[in-house]
Amino acid sequence: MSNTSMSNTAMSSNTLTVVDREGATHDLEWEPDQSMMEALRDNDLPVLASCGGTASCATCHVFLEQDVFSTLEERSEDELELLVEAEGYRECGSRLSCQVGFSRDLNGVTVTLAPED
Amino acid sequence: MRSGTGAAPVMTRNPVVIAGAGHSGVAVAAGLRSRGWEGGVLLIDAENELPYERPPLSKELLKDGASDESAVLRKEKFYADKGIDRLAGVTAESIDRDSRTVLLSDGTRQAYHRLVIATGSRARPLTVPGAGLPGVRSLRTRGDALELKRLLVRGARVAIIGAGYIGLEVAAAAAAKGCEVTVLEFQDRVMSRVTSGPVSRHFEQLHGRHGVRFVFGAAVTSIDGGQRAESVTVADGTVFPADVVLAGIGVLPNEELAADAGLECRDGILVDGDGRTSDPAIYASGDVTRFTSPIDCASQRLECIQNAQAQADRVAAHITGQAAAEPEIPWFWTVQHGVRLQTAGVRHPEDQAIVRGEPSDGKFSVVYLRKGRLAAVDTIAHLADFRTAKRLIAQGARIDPALAADPGIPLSEATSGTPNHSDADLAAARS
Repeated sequence: MSNTSMSNTAMSSNTLTVVDREGATHDLEWEPDQSMMEALRDNDLPVLASCGGTASCATCHVFLEQDVFSTLEERSEDELELLVEAEGYRECGSRLSCQVGFSRDLNGVTVTLAPED
Repeated sequence: MRSGTGAAPVMTRNPVVIAGAGHSGVAVAAGLRSRGWEGGVLLIDAENELPYERPPLSKELLKDGASDESAVLRKEKFYADKGIDRLAGVTAESIDRDSRTVLLSDGTRQAYHRLVIATGSRARPLTVPGAGLPGVRSLRTRGDALELKRLLVRGARVAIIGAGYIGLEVAAAAAAKGCEVTVLEFQDRVMSRVTSGPVSRHFEQLHGRHGVRFVFGAAVTSIDGGQRAESVTVADGTVFPADVVLAGIGVLPNEELAADAGLECRDGILVDGDGRTSDPAIYASGDVTRFTSPIDCASQRLECIQNAQAQADRVAAHITGQAAAEPEIPWFWTVQHGVRLQTAGVRHPEDQAIVRGEPSDGKFSVVYLRKGRLAAVDTIAHLADFRTAKRLIAQGARIDPALAADPGIPLSEATSGTPNHSDADLAAARS
C-alpha cells in the first residue's frame, strides 16, 4: 500500500462522511487499521472491492475534495491506469479507496462514491 | 423451519448455514447482512484462524522478509458486529435434506433454513509413484504457503510441476530467494490453458532472465528418493534432482458434500443463475460450482476471486429476495517477477489474437476476437486496456482488427461500425 499504514491500533478512529450514489450522506467510523475501502465496505456501503484491495479492479473508486486529494501521496501507475478509464474520472480527486491508508490528517473528510461502470 | 433432530450448536431463527469460509463463503455471509437478512448466519470454517485472502499466498507471503500473516478477509470484530457466527476448525460432513440439517465433524447437527456450499477447491494431487514423499508440496492454504516458504532456501533445487499461475508465481518467488528452479510442463508453453502464444513467450523470457529453466513436453513419471524427494523423472528418462517438488497441476472442486447428498454435480456442483443447486433450499458459490455463463452460454467452472464474490452476491440476493447486480465479465490476475498479467473474459483457443504494442517494451496487451466481437483481453503491465476491454466485452462490441493492432489508438476507438449487441440480444443470451 502506498500510503500511511498504522501500527498504533490504540489510536482513535476518524470520522468519515460518505456521499453515496443516490446523494445520501452517511457518517461512519474509520478505524486506524482499515484502509478507506475497508471502512466503506465494512460499513455496508455499496463498494464491491472485488480484488480485495490490490489496486486491480477499480470498484472502490471514490472522489475526494481537491484540497484533501492534494495532501496524499501520488497514485501508483496501476492505480492511475485503472482510474483514467473509470466512469467520471477526475484528475484531481479520483482515488481507489483501497490505496488510501488511515491517517489522522483525513479525520472528518468527505468522500463521494464514484458511479459504477 | 428448524428440525428438532440433534443438538444444534447455534440456535437462531431461519439460519443460513454456509459450509466454507473462503472468499465466497465470507462474501455470502457479509452480503446477507448488508442486504438486511435478519435470520441467523453461521459460517462453518475448516480452518482455525480468521478467514484470509488467498492471492497473496503464492505471491507476497513467500517473499523473504514478508510477514507470515496473510491479510484477513474481514477483521474479527466484523463477524461479531454483524452477528455472523463462525465455527472454526469444523467441516460439514453430510447433509440430511429431508430434515434440513448438516452433520458437522464435531459430531453435532446444525439445522438450516438455507444451506450454502462454498467449500471451494483443492489442489489436484500428483498420482505418480513417489508423490507422497516428504518434500513434495502443493499450495492451497496458508499452512501450505508457510511450509513452502520454509523450504525455499537459497541454493535449494526446486522442481515445479506445471507452468500455470501457481507454478509460475512460486517459480518467481523461489528464483528471487536464490533457489535453482526448474519448471516441468507437459504442454509446449507456459499458461497454455489461459493465454496465447505471445503472452506465454513474454513470461517465458521474463522467467528466463531470472534464471528459471523450463522443460516443455515433460510428462512426470515418478518422484524418487529415500527418506524424502530427491529427484523427478520424466517420460524420456531424464532425471531432475530436486530438494523441493511443487505440484501446480490445477484444482478439483470440493463437491463431495453435495454429490453425497444427491445434488447434481458434473466436475463442480451445478447451479443456476441464482446460485441454486438442484435442491431449492441449497445454494453453492465460488470455485466449487459449475454454471452456464450469462455472457456466452458456455458451461464453466471459474477459479477466481471475481467469480467467488459475484456468485456470493447472487446467492445473498436470492436468499433475501432482492435483485442481484448485473453479471460481471470474469477477470483474473497473476504477478510474476513484479509483472502483472491481468485478464478479462475467458479466451477460447480458436479466438483471433491481436497484439497491441511491442512485448519487448514490457507493456502490451492482446485482445481476443470471436466472430468479430471482443471476447477477452490480456494486459501485461498495461491496465488501461483492461478496464476499457472489460466494458467492451460486456457490450459485445465489434472490433476492427486493424485499428486494434495499433496501440496508438485507444481500444474504445477500435470498435467497428456494426452495432453492438442489442438489449434484446443480451436478454436472450442471459435467459
